[in-house]
Amino acid sequence: MSALIDIQNVSKIYASADDSTAWALQDVSVQLHKGEFVCAIGPSGCGKTTLLNIIGGFTQPTEGKALQDGEPITAPGPDRGVVFQEYALFSWLTSRENIEFSLRVKGVPKKERRERAEHYLDLIGLRRAADRYPGELSGGMRQRVAVARALINEPEILLMDEPFAAVDAMTRATLQEELLRLWQTLGLSILFITHNIEEAAFLASRIIIMSPHPGRIKDIVSVDLPYPRDRGSPEFAAVYGRVDRAFHT
Amino acid sequence: MSQSPQSNGASADTAAQSESRDAHLRVREEQFLRDLKADRRRQSIRQLSLNILGIVLFLAAWEATPHVIPWMNRLLFPPPSDVVGTLRELIESGELIENIRVSLLRVLNGFIIATILGTLAGLLTGRLQLLQFLSDPILHGMRSIPAIALVPLSLLWFGIGEPSKVALIAWGAFFPIWLNTYTGVRDVPPVLLRSAMSLGAGRVQTMFLVILPAALPFILVGLRQGIGIALIVLVAAELAGASSGIGYMIATSHQLFRVDIMFIGIATLGFLGYVVDRLFTLLQSYLFPWYSSGK
Ligand SMILES: Nc1ncnc2c1ncn2[C@@H]1O[C@H](COP(=O)(O)OP(=O)(O)OP(=O)(O)O)[C@@H](O)[C@H]1O
Ligand SMILES: [Mg+2]
Repeated sequence: MSALIDIQNVSKIYASADDSTAWALQDVSVQLHKGEFVCAIGPSGCGKTTLLNIIGGFTQPTEGKALQDGEPITAPGPDRGVVFQEYALFSWLTSRENIEFSLRVKGVPKKERRERAEHYLDLIGLRRAADRYPGELSGGMRQRVAVARALINEPEILLMDEPFAAVDAMTRATLQEELLRLWQTLGLSILFITHNIEEAAFLASRIIIMSPHPGRIKDIVSVDLPYPRDRGSPEFAAVYGRVDRAFHT
Repeated sequence: MSQSPQSNGASADTAAQSESRDAHLRVREEQFLRDLKADRRRQSIRQLSLNILGIVLFLAAWEATPHVIPWMNRLLFPPPSDVVGTLRELIESGELIENIRVSLLRVLNGFIIATILGTLAGLLTGRLQLLQFLSDPILHGMRSIPAIALVPLSLLWFGIGEPSKVALIAWGAFFPIWLNTYTGVRDVPPVLLRSAMSLGAGRVQTMFLVILPAALPFILVGLRQGIGIALIVLVAAELAGASSGIGYMIATSHQLFRVDIMFIGIATLGFLGYVVDRLFTLLQSYLFPWYSSGK
């Protein structure tokens, strides 16, 4: 089976303000397959965002190859949906208009745009907030809209950079469950970045464990627990322990 | 409802109870809203009456000044009672209105030109580094020249008619509009640009659908500053050489030794500046409702 995303020996070097150099990523290889829910986890500065940016096409690797369906990734595109850590909604557009954005730039007629946006508003349970501006939404609602905005293109893969980091714990748990439901019903492929072990253990079918200075992949853990997962179960605790131990070895 | 017969009575009871509680809550809500509205009304009436009182106090102090201070010349410092007659004359003859019209038209024309050129220049220099570096020294150098210094030159080039005023106003208003647009465009959060790219927007689409609206708060600040400067430049140009307009009215009243007319001209400028600024704020909240809704 050929990989959806194929990262081959990728390194990325950055210059800091004082002209010293830092390897954000060094010799990283990983493959993401169709239908997978992959979490990348690691401490701050281990290159998680850099990895996502390379797959998203926002930056190019200094060395190595980043391939999508065997083709080099050169630019961002609607086939890779992105949900950012910060709120990246367009504040001058309503929820509905935000969700419709990619259809609008593609020139999809208004009526069809509306119907499809309506469908995604239902999926995220925000039909009532359709005509509100992002400034009038809670943090959780905003990230739901951001997810819908990325999904309406039916991307091959959804890239999420700590999307729920800024919301409270209760909302976060709800958002996680909703995301799993979307993943299962829509048959998505997801790369989800977090630095929360519990989040990774709850969501991922595979966990990429990264370490900093230089940014490297330390271990990859497959999680075979069925969904929905019970955070209180001993199996869950075992996965948590495995990931936690991987950090300290 | 698939409840057992025994629990039926109990649940009917709770239903009735909760209905009466709902009714009570509704009444309470309505009363709350009524109180809130009455409170707001009281507050705005209070504000308005204090505003009016402020004006009255100001006029009274002005009226009293020449009476209280004996060496004050009524011709040099005419009280409102003297000015009001002149004001009526100027309004009835249509002179004042005509001068306002002429002045506003000049400001409008100059401002429109400045808005188009300023936002365009801001967009281009904010997005294209080549243009920014190329234009930086010249634009910033020109920005440092007070527009008033160019009045004689403008009169020489464009004559005493409209073009010289409009050109000066456009010149003066251009710089704040350009500078603020430039800042707003340069500082559009990268995450918005990345979102636009990953959602499939091209360069031009990104420009008009993302960069421009994201920079709008800055552009609006620039426009507002631009209007202020436009009024200043207008008066400078009209004082120096014109055959109509508020500035012209002030200049001729000076020659005629009519301080009352001068006062009316000056007050008109204050009034116009205030009204234009208010209109601008109103238009802003009408056109960009999202601008005031959180961040
Ligand atoms: N544009 C940049 N310029 C310079 N250095 C950068 C840049 N982007 C990232 N880096 C550096 O590369 C390293 C990895 O950064 P990256 O943002 O990928 O980390 P991260 O794992 O996402 O961290 P966090 O959990 O804090 O988001 C860091 O040391 C960072 O300082
Ligand atoms: Mg990051």
